[in-house]
Amino acid sequence: MTEQTTPENLGIGTDEWVAQHEKRLSRRAGLLGIVDFLNQKVSPLVRYLLLAIFAVGFGALVHNLYLLRIAANLAVFLALTLGLNVVMGFAGLLDLGFVAFFGFGAYAYALTSSAQLNQHWPTYLSVPAIVITTAFLGYLVSLPSRRLFGDYLAIVTLFFGQVFIQLIISSDSITFPGHEDSVDITGGSNGIPGLDQFKLFGYTFKTITDYYWLLLVVVALLLVAITRVDRTRVGRAWRTVREDPLASQSMGIKVNNLKMLAFIVGAAIAGLCGTIYAAIQNAVFINGFDMPLLTLIYAAVILGGSGSIPGSILGAFVMSVLPEILRVQNYSEILFLTVLILAVAALSKGWKRFGFNASLVILLGLLVKVISSALSLATTPTSTWAVGPVSKALKYWLLMPANRILWGNIAFVLLIALIANYSIAKERVKFYLLPLIAFIAIFVWEVRLVIEPNTTRQLIIGMMLVVLMIVRPQGFLGKTRVEVL
Amino acid sequence: MSYLGQQLVNGLTLGGVYALIALGYSLVYGVLQILNFAHGDVYMVGAFLGYFVELALGGPTKSFLPVPLMIFIMFAVSMIGTGLLGIIIERFAYRPLRKSSRIAPLISALGVSILLQNAAQLLFSANIRSYDTSSFIPSTLGFSIGDVTVDSVRLTVLILAFVLMFALSRWVNKTQVGRAMRAIAVDRDAAVMMGIDIDKVIRWTFFVSAALAAAAGVMNGLLLRGVSSGMGFVPGLKGFTAAVIGGIGSIPGAMAGGLLLGVVESLTQGYLSTNFSDFYTFLLLIAVMLLRPNGLFGKKAIVKA
Amino acid sequence: MLEIKKLTMQFGALKSISDLDITVNKGEIVSVIGPNGAGKTTLFNVVTGIYKPTEGDVLLDGKSIAGKDPAVVNRLGIARTFQNVRLFLNMSVIENVMAATYAQTKSNIFSSALGLPASRKEEKEVRAKAEELLSFFGTRLTGYRWEQPAYSLSYANRRRLEIARALATNPKVLLLDEPAAGMNPKETQEITEVIGRLRSEKDLTILVIEHDMHVVEGISDRVIALDHGVKIAEGSFDSVATHPDVVEAYLGKGSADRK
Repeated sequence: MTEQTTPENLGIGTDEWVAQHEKRLSRRAGLLGIVDFLNQKVSPLVRYLLLAIFAVGFGALVHNLYLLRIAANLAVFLALTLGLNVVMGFAGLLDLGFVAFFGFGAYAYALTSSAQLNQHWPTYLSVPAIVITTAFLGYLVSLPSRRLFGDYLAIVTLFFGQVFIQLIISSDSITFPGHEDSVDITGGSNGIPGLDQFKLFGYTFKTITDYYWLLLVVVALLLVAITRVDRTRVGRAWRTVREDPLASQSMGIKVNNLKMLAFIVGAAIAGLCGTIYAAIQNAVFINGFDMPLLTLIYAAVILGGSGSIPGSILGAFVMSVLPEILRVQNYSEILFLTVLILAVAALSKGWKRFGFNASLVILLGLLVKVISSALSLATTPTSTWAVGPVSKALKYWLLMPANRILWGNIAFVLLIALIANYSIAKERVKFYLLPLIAFIAIFVWEVRLVIEPNTTRQLIIGMMLVVLMIVRPQGFLGKTRVEVL
Repeated sequence: MSYLGQQLVNGLTLGGVYALIALGYSLVYGVLQILNFAHGDVYMVGAFLGYFVELALGGPTKSFLPVPLMIFIMFAVSMIGTGLLGIIIERFAYRPLRKSSRIAPLISALGVSILLQNAAQLLFSANIRSYDTSSFIPSTLGFSIGDVTVDSVRLTVLILAFVLMFALSRWVNKTQVGRAMRAIAVDRDAAVMMGIDIDKVIRWTFFVSAALAAAAGVMNGLLLRGVSSGMGFVPGLKGFTAAVIGGIGSIPGAMAGGLLLGVVESLTQGYLSTNFSDFYTFLLLIAVMLLRPNGLFGKKAIVKA
Repeated sequence: MLEIKKLTMQFGALKSISDLDITVNKGEIVSVIGPNGAGKTTLFNVVTGIYKPTEGDVLLDGKSIAGKDPAVVNRLGIARTFQNVRLFLNMSVIENVMAATYAQTKSNIFSSALGLPASRKEEKEVRAKAEELLSFFGTRLTGYRWEQPAYSLSYANRRRLEIARALATNPKVLLLDEPAAGMNPKETQEITEVIGRLRSEKDLTILVIEHDMHVVEGISDRVIALDHGVKIAEGSFDSVATHPDVVEAYLGKGSADRK
């Protein structure tokens, strides 16, 4: 039905012109342009088909347990991301207690399927019961904030997450009235080990491969369900709630109920993920359900594009593969250098200047190396740090001081200051700052960050969130949004 | 009775710390309507700065200055330094987002929070440092009313907290910047049209907010002694809660909310259970939100349609 | 149909509406005029449930709706547009209208997720209804524009879309807040006709706030003039437009005498 009628009066200010305005803007150069292109030109069906083929092929061909475990964790993470995308992306609610529901599901499974309380419920009973209970918990948490703005929901849910952790940690010695001895319910900070495996349709799950296939089915079903909901009545209503709650209400939409529904759906999905995750891990520990995981999921949703389902998939991939890469020094160095070179290339605006900048970086490194040896500064022997292909290549060029922590820290502070300055500097200053920043970044990475993968990962996430909000708040695959304030 | 009195004194001291943090949330919220999630980590930076000043002055044991002067310098340097950090954070993480959607600054704040926490971990390692207050202020120093003892550290903290709160009220009510700040809180567009330099006011707001957090951080260091990169999360959460309980955006509300929270926490820890204190605070928050959704001192917002 | 009885709306010390009585009969088009700050939009906000009146009552078909939730008021049969146009800007044109059928449709999250036949059928009906409502404005909002985001529309089209969206809620009474604001003379002429057709074709009772006197003259069965929250005149367009109090309210004291 959508025929391309040319409007009768194409002039300044008419719809057609305004409508095309966005298209003109979105034809961007560089990497973002490619992302836009992929987003707009490749049909969703083809994308999902490719993804499905890849996922099935992976499960059928790969027998490496380490890789399968990563893939299974990625699938859990993806399901979580999709769940948060419903709450935050569709309905626009800032739910900072999301991982607590995930943790609740995991602990509930552990308590109903282990020797801890001597309960061994069948899977077909425990999992649905837990999903429903988690959904109900979500309902309870959303109650006090139902009449309030997003900010209040944020505080209630954030606090809820904190309380959840405290309750779990402290519930290892509960004294009930009328009983002498205290009871250990949650195992405190020791967690609960030795959980039952899933048993469905008479089949007991034994290996990680079994769970991989289960997760594949779960994720596929979730994707279909969420996509359908997004396109129909409830999904539309959620979007109106996000766009303009007042107008939405005036159109007969019960805003509070819809907000609560989104919240409950998110909690239920998180609870389901929790049960599967607990079964895969064969144990539960409270520190797996803390802020770092929450920020990781948020980063995934936001990176991909809040409200976009393909975005959630992309975000989940990036955010769960990234930590694995960072864990192995060889990979992390390659990744870092690639990103750095791409960034410098993008900021150089032109190959000539890129060449100039690159040679300046190389010169800078040599200069520092020469000066330091002239001053005979103590260095770390190359054999101890140059282990990967990248660092081996760098060893003739990069100065590696003996006191890596001190010099690394100094350079880190300098780097942050320079990057901050760069963002507000004049063009002429930027020209000189860029190679300097690139050099110091390599220095900081090799000297300091490489030996602290966990902190580095968090630093990258933090930086990414801030920069993304400023540069491209809609994320990679999200739509540009127009906001009226 | 004496136990109750003791818990009350402890609660008020703790509440003073919470109130200072809550004020920072409320000030920023009043002007920009954003929740500064990074505030707890700003508080952490303040505590670290205080710690390093203490070390630089030869503390905790071999200070070459008289103890009151040392403490004064710790507060002053930490507050000014952290205040500047607040300005920097606003400049780079919030100002570019002033015209964007409501959720963008929240996410950016989350990013800043992660950045600060991990930068601190990288620079200062994950070890817990200690102010070691007892080695320069004997814990026996202080006075007693009946059975209730108020040791000198608590007294210092309490007095200082109230002095800072009083100074803040004066600043908001009597100075040009404070008045401009209130004007922006009421109607930003109108304030701009009246020729108020909004950037300047926001800079000041962030400076003051961060400086108060820093003071709270140093106080916490003096009281409980431990300083670490992850220390900001829970007090940040509590301060935030206090601000909401008092009515976010309201200055007296933040003060009252902080003190109330401190007392409630202290009493529940004393009489009910140490392990579940956060749970009771959470119940208080829920109760306030159900009974007075706009907080104790908050005004009902008028919807503009 | 719609009765407003002894309505008072007070914000702190400010009385925005005081002791106002208005009756709108079935099938009538009533215009509310008055200078800025007269309380017109406040009146709409009270009727649609956004504000709870300080005193007095609002009756729809004899039943009180004062203070009810806006969503409930809408479901009872009152739909509105907004003075500052509050569309769901990042949703497509047709989605804006489809979303407004929420209250009359049933498919829940499970039936949608499972893609049950009932839910698919409903979805088709909703779309057909939305297309029909959009074609109410001739070719202005049809064809390729359905799938465009609402923010790409011109100002006049946004106002039209807002009316279509309000119609999608199946109202009995329609409140239009300055439907012709920001439109050029040709568009204003069009919207005047549209309002007339709304009554004849959609069987609606309409309450309009409007500043453009040509529109008011063209559509109104009755005109009510407000000033400082008080009704100062009521009657036919001619009688109200020449009423001394109305002239004074618009032009200031003494204007009527000079004339």
